[in-house]
Amino acid sequence: MSALPLKTHGMLAEFGTPADIFEAAMRCRDAGFSKWDVHTPFPIHGMDEAMGLRKSPVGWFTFCGGFTGFFTGMTMIWYMNGFDYPLVVGGKPLFTPLYAFPVSYELTILLSAFGTLFGMFFLNRLPKFYNPLFKNLRFRKATDDRYFIVIESADPKFSVEATRAFLTDSCHATAVELVED
Amino acid sequence: MNPALRISKNWMAFLAIAALFLTARLFGAEHTDSHTVANAVDHAAHGHDHGSASESVSQFSLKQIAHSYLTAYMFTLSLCVGCLFLSLAHHLFDAGWSASIRRVTDTISSLLFPWMTLLVLPIIGFAWHGDLYGWFFTDPASDHSLDVKKVLFNRETFSVLLPGVIALLGLVAGTLRKWSVAQDKDGAAHWTSKSRKLAAGGIFLFAFGTTLVCFFLMKSLQHQFFSTMYGVYYFAGSVWVTLITLYILTMYLSQPGKPLEKVYFKRQQQDLAVLFFAFTVFYAYIHFSQYFLIWNAALPEETFWYVLREVGSWKWVGMTIIFGHFFVPFLLLLNQDIKRNMAVMVPVAVWTWLMHYLDMTYNVMPVLHPAGLKLTFWDPLLWVALVSVLGALFWRKYQTAAPYPLRDPRLKEAVTHHEVPTSAVRSASASTH
Repeated sequence: MSALPLKTHGMLAEFGTPADIFEAAMRCRDAGFSKWDVHTPFPIHGMDEAMGLRKSPVGWFTFCGGFTGFFTGMTMIWYMNGFDYPLVVGGKPLFTPLYAFPVSYELTILLSAFGTLFGMFFLNRLPKFYNPLFKNLRFRKATDDRYFIVIESADPKFSVEATRAFLTDSCHATAVELVED
Repeated sequence: MNPALRISKNWMAFLAIAALFLTARLFGAEHTDSHTVANAVDHAAHGHDHGSASESVSQFSLKQIAHSYLTAYMFTLSLCVGCLFLSLAHHLFDAGWSASIRRVTDTISSLLFPWMTLLVLPIIGFAWHGDLYGWFFTDPASDHSLDVKKVLFNRETFSVLLPGVIALLGLVAGTLRKWSVAQDKDGAAHWTSKSRKLAAGGIFLFAFGTTLVCFFLMKSLQHQFFSTMYGVYYFAGSVWVTLITLYILTMYLSQPGKPLEKVYFKRQQQDLAVLFFAFTVFYAYIHFSQYFLIWNAALPEETFWYVLREVGSWKWVGMTIIFGHFFVPFLLLLNQDIKRNMAVMVPVAVWTWLMHYLDMTYNVMPVLHPAGLKLTFWDPLLWVALVSVLGALFWRKYQTAAPYPLRDPRLKEAVTHHEVPTSAVRSASASTH
């Protein structure tokens, strides 16, 4: 084996069917890799369990967003209608959660959605403008009919020889190649 | 247990109810004037003196029994109507995951005919006897709000249309079940496409039918009331209570050694819980909309309905519905893991049943007891009786066919739904290549 290229991104393994990549993902999980990912043209149900992923914490961002939205709405309307500029409309009380509800509810939804979207961006470290996989010709099939596992070279268990052998022999990948950074 | 014994047990339940009615009739104390209810409503409608009217309803009077029976009937009807909706939705969306529990929903909804149709007859009897609906004995010429609604709210239309519509819904449900059972034998796909066509028309029948039935049975207790939300309101609560009932029922049926063991898994159970959560929100949305529009417009012919329900302890019943029917299950079920946690879901199911019953009580009882919530022994008795009758009938009918649609084209999808038996994934992908 010649010297390593200056920098490697990781090892790319190609699979032909959802079942194959499913089994391979379980093997990677059991082998204890931590910096790796699966790329498929469509979601495969149960893949998160096969990969051993934790439950996504993005729900907490949603919840905090919604909570903030609801109370912002209520406080805003109380401040504007009941406190800062009291104005009787239609003989209704100056402030009641009842008429403040639709607006608070809309704000709950809006900020939950923002929380979800931006929380997801934050957790995924997005936006990210470049990934070495974009240059890889084989990887383009990930949006068509091939299934890929990438084990990054930053993974503590990564070694060019052993990982290649692992993906080829244990995981039965149809093709394995080293991706340069 | 042999079938004959089972049938006779059901009839014994019927006889027991009949005997209770008779007993109550014999001991039946003073009958309050049949117009008292109408008067109480009228008072509330015109904004004065709504707390004091008709305090003297004896708990042995037919009025009390009629209202308790109506409340219990509305509860059991909810389960049938909710199941019919789920069966229709399954076909309309060409759903996969729910194929394995469809025989259960088909069976419960098909009890609409003949059983729920028969069980509505006592209500019609009570109505003619003057125990339920004030408008039965009101001259439309003397009551403008009745005059404009007399096309629907007259004795003859009520007595024919009400059981007719329930029977019609039952026939749709029964047909869906019959076709599904026929598919068990020959496995032909055309049963599925026929069912989808029936569901396409059936959903309209369902929407109008359910609305009409709950207008007749519950809303017409105060015929002056207007609300275009009312039908959806009943529907939302019905599907809500149905989903948690199915959740528990299918959990039981999928235990080791039980019929759904091999076709029903945790993921489907999670989906039922997710739908239940969705309907928790949907119900709140609908009920809030109804209240909010009435509150905002502040028209006396609409507000009286809620004014009556803010008198005495009814106000706290209303608060219990806001918090117990919505906030408690909503906040509890926000977390996705809770949806599979039996230690939480079983109490939630019991709570849901109580809340839906309370919701029905909130709709029916303020007419009879305007001063506040008043429970009599009839309420739990008739509730348990009707639910037991429905449960027994379901169980008997469920055992007359396979426990799930054996050769439904979507069954494989249901079995492998989100589920990860690798062999199943492998064979599924092998068959598509």
